[in-house]
Amino acid sequence: MLREITLGQYYPADSVLHSLDPRVKLFATLVFIITLFSANNVILFGFVLITLAGIIKMSHVPFSFMVKGLRSIVMLLIIAGLFNLFLTPGKELVSFWIFSISDVGLKNAVLMTSRMILLIIGTSIMTLTTTPNQLTDGLEKSLGFMKRFGVPVHEISMMMSIALRFIPILIEETDKIMKAQMARGADFESGGLIKKAKNMVPLLVPLFVSAFRRANDLSFAMEARCYNGGEGRTKMRPLKYSSLDQRAYICIFGFIIVFYAAKVIL
Amino acid sequence: MSIIKSKNLVHEYIRRDEEGNVESIQVALDNVNLNVEPGQFISILGHNGSGKSTFAKHINALLTPSEGTLIVDGMNTSDDEYTFAVRQTAGMVFQNPDNQIIASVVDEDVAFGPENIGVPTEEIIQRVEKSLKMVGMYKYKSHSPNKLSGGQKQRVAIAGVMAMEPKCIILDEPTAMLDPDGRKDVLQAVHTLNKEKGITVILITHYMEEVVDSDYVFVMEKGKVFMEGKPREIFKDVKLLKEHSLDVPQVTQLAYELREAGVPLPECVLTRQELIDGLKAAKASGFVPNLSAFVEMQAAKEVSNAIDISGAKDKVLILDHVSYKYSPGTAYEVKALDDVSLSIKEGEFIGIIGHTGSGKSTLVQHLNGLIKSTDGVIYYRGQDIYDKDYDIKDLRTQVGMVFQYPEHQLFETTVFKDVQFGPKNQGLDEKEQIKRAYEALGLVGLPEEFYLASPFELSGGQKRRAAIAGVIAMKPAVIILDEPTAGLDPKGRDDILGMITEMHRKRGDTVILVSHSMEDVANYVDRIIVMDAGKPAFDGTPKQVFAHYKELEAMGLAAPQVTYVMNDLIKEGMAVDAGATTVEEAKASILKAFK
Repeated sequence: MLREITLGQYYPADSVLHSLDPRVKLFATLVFIITLFSANNVILFGFVLITLAGIIKMSHVPFSFMVKGLRSIVMLLIIAGLFNLFLTPGKELVSFWIFSISDVGLKNAVLMTSRMILLIIGTSIMTLTTTPNQLTDGLEKSLGFMKRFGVPVHEISMMMSIALRFIPILIEETDKIMKAQMARGADFESGGLIKKAKNMVPLLVPLFVSAFRRANDLSFAMEARCYNGGEGRTKMRPLKYSSLDQRAYICIFGFIIVFYAAKVIL
Repeated sequence: MSIIKSKNLVHEYIRRDEEGNVESIQVALDNVNLNVEPGQFISILGHNGSGKSTFAKHINALLTPSEGTLIVDGMNTSDDEYTFAVRQTAGMVFQNPDNQIIASVVDEDVAFGPENIGVPTEEIIQRVEKSLKMVGMYKYKSHSPNKLSGGQKQRVAIAGVMAMEPKCIILDEPTAMLDPDGRKDVLQAVHTLNKEKGITVILITHYMEEVVDSDYVFVMEKGKVFMEGKPREIFKDVKLLKEHSLDVPQVTQLAYELREAGVPLPECVLTRQELIDGLKAAKASGFVPNLSAFVEMQAAKEVSNAIDISGAKDKVLILDHVSYKYSPGTAYEVKALDDVSLSIKEGEFIGIIGHTGSGKSTLVQHLNGLIKSTDGVIYYRGQDIYDKDYDIKDLRTQVGMVFQYPEHQLFETTVFKDVQFGPKNQGLDEKEQIKRAYEALGLVGLPEEFYLASPFELSGGQKRRAAIAGVIAMKPAVIILDEPTAGLDPKGRDDILGMITEMHRKRGDTVILVSHSMEDVANYVDRIIVMDAGKPAFDGTPKQVFAHYKELEAMGLAAPQVTYVMNDLIKEGMAVDAGATTVEEAKASILKAFK
């Protein structure tokens, strides 16, 4: 059940998006998020949507694979949607018992949920087409200027890439421990909140123990391979902009100009 | 000049309390003197806790000597100046394949080492390609390590070391967590490196079969080297090795026992061919054995078999056309079980074997309702377990399940409380819980002084016993054990299997043992089910199943070594029993053939 989370996974394929520099993709994602939240009417929203659809097509990642990542947040979406739907004041459209739906509420609910869905899909395109190492490399390089202020950028990006590597392993492990404790009669489903939290102890303790054991092993393995911090390290794939990346930047800026021009005009 | 030279090497693990006072000192290495010449293939043997892993970490300068010196390629490892040079010269591969892969893509992981030592980009790319090709993993270069098998991950780890162009590679139990196929591939890769690239190899292991081909062997115990020599010299003394809880290859064991029975065989037999040749020569010399001692043993064995069979009458579990698919309806659909129909009788001792991915783990997880089949029905004592009125929680107490590496589920503050967890969930009263826990711990043979200790302080084998007790305490009628011996040394393995057999005999319950080790299974169980591609391929007594040794091999499984010996002997015209599956049976049958 836990294995179905696709958020943060890499999907190997041969596409234009896969060969782009991670810094371009990071920037594009940022632009996408900002425009998504400043698109306040149907035309602008449609524009963002069409652009996203084009990018999905370019990524060569099956659309069904991206949608699978949404499954884990369906509950969250429904709750957020319902809150917006029922609790926003405005002109009343329908009302029954203690609930009432207003025009603003309906609009907000639709906008909110579709924004969330697009946000997840948009960001997952980045993670699906960029290996975690590239991603952290991109972050390390883009945020490199912060080193001057004493921020350990290299260490943070190394921690992030290791975390990304171990998330699937720990998820699988959680699944296994859960089953093992269920076989001993443990119950992770029923009971109130406090009882449920208490019932998690047999799952969390072994999980922590295992995470520490893995961390210990990994630190030995890294040291054995001469890891000694970011100083003097070279890269197999150093980040270098190609002409493709330049064209991508031009497209992104073109998109920004068209979007905000449309926003002003409309 | 030797590449590794240790002189009076001592290492102590010092435990301090909060004020920094010494609490205890554990001597892990005690005066180790050892020399390795360049280009050699060296094996270091020893059971868990013998100090062999501590020694390995010294060669890589991950640990430094408390006393004495260790010189690697002319550099003293205690000298900080050489730390990174030593690590480049002597690369290290660890036991757990998951915990040593740093990157999320295969080639990026292989590049990790060269990147750390500042190799220029162009050269890194060449080295990564070369290293991956050496271990036969080049076509997986853009894969995620999570999608690889254990054996493939270990080969990636080896490539990661090779990319640093070391002179020497140390492998610390690289195959302990792998299935037979993975073991074979990893060993083959290591031997190729040694033969073709002249890399010095130091293989640390407790699998004796892996040692046979090495140039020189060191056997460690209690931090000391207590035996050293060529494999032939080491395996000569089977009795001494057994006393030190080490094992010998089955062929060597069989030859040794035949020699003890008076058959004129060479002093040390390592390969099947040597044994066959030896027996042919013995036959030609007209040797006749004295059979009286052995007849008694055979009689005793038949009696013990009779007890096992008497309990097997009623069917406790029935699987009726059970199928299971992972992610049904998507492109990722995998048929893990394909129309399986089986019945399991009360009191049977069953072994389920199959390679990784054959569906054996999925099958057993159906038996206590942890996985629900996509098709078909399972009956427990005649009741449909998928019926909506059926109490699935009760089924889980009736069919106990011990998972692989069960010690990973321990969580309580004391061993006793942990074992009580199951009975507590069953809703039993305190008195009964304690009684059950006490009985279970007694059955698994854990000494009483550990009952109130934290489960995390126990040794590997003890932890496993405690975890098994946690399932037994629920008094299940059926106990399923998924790879109960994975990662244990030969002594630990024999102890656990002995304990399970003993328990089965005492309680008369149904035991299902999932394993990929044919030799373990053949020694203990009454019935074997071989799983292949989600279906039972063979089902019968060990004799019946291993008679198909050729088909088993095609499935990536192998019959016990003795089965091969017997079949070879038949080809040579000796009248032996092709169905012998254990060393004992083979010995009896060979001795008879001489008569």
